[in-house]
Amino acid sequence: MNTLTQENNREVTEKVAEKGEKTPAKVYSPNVDVLETEEAILFRVEMPGVDQSSVEISIEKDQLILEGKFVPPTESRGQVRLAEYREGNYFRKFTIGKAIHSDKAVAKMKNGILELTLPKMEPKKTKIEIQK
Amino acid sequence: MLFRILDPQTKANQFWRDFDRLNDELTRSILDSQFGSSSNFPPVNVYTKEDEALVTCLLPGMEADAIDINVKDNLLSIHGKKKAEELAEGTEVHRREIFNGEFHRTLELPFRVDQEHVLAKFTNGVLNIHLPRREEDKPKKVSIIAG
Repeated sequence: MNTLTQENNREVTEKVAEKGEKTPAKVYSPNVDVLETEEAILFRVEMPGVDQSSVEISIEKDQLILEGKFVPPTESRGQVRLAEYREGNYFRKFTIGKAIHSDKAVAKMKNGILELTLPKMEPKKTKIEIQK
Repeated sequence: MLFRILDPQTKANQFWRDFDRLNDELTRSILDSQFGSSSNFPPVNVYTKEDEALVTCLLPGMEADAIDINVKDNLLSIHGKKKAEELAEGTEVHRREIFNGEFHRTLELPFRVDQEHVLAKFTNGVLNIHLPRREEDKPKKVSIIAG
């Protein structure tokens, strides 16, 4: 079994509905690399077109939520001739199966890629004495 | 997708999600082996106006100086190489979905381009190329003399 299990983003539509938006923006699942070293778990997430200020990362217990808000351009771009990709928000959710220091997480945004480093927690050993 | 069993909305449980993913990946690998990996990287959008075309292209993780853009007449080619991140020893890979490698795309535009005035901008992993139409090719309005 994978230590890091991904949850599908089936919840996305519900989430948009919750916020009560009239025309829910399209939500896409971004490509992700997940790597694990001895010290940390590293996420690299493709979020082209998303500014650093519109990325939201939240960790709650073992749930990691990555969100990117896309801001559509204001000026008209003309007639669409070819559309191989569509623009919208990004959303992806992961369940992290390892203990991590969520308060020591470091995130960086560079050229449309979000890099998130989650330092792993040393497994603590507690010895329990048996009372006589 | 080779086949669909149920409507996606009804697939709330984990099994169908996993099944969907497997189905997707199988389909993709079968298609790739049959027709060769389609060079659809990077994805582009093309917009045109009467006197200008705009090509937008998703290239997250690229450096601007590693992208090569060439324009000739009505052809635009985008070329580059995306290096794979070097992995430290002992790194365990859980997921690898981000594209690495060389890419080359040539696009045909509906008109010839004024090569001198092409403007390319790269922000947040999106490449925007503004391609103005050649002055001599622009449509000219002909006025009709009433007589």
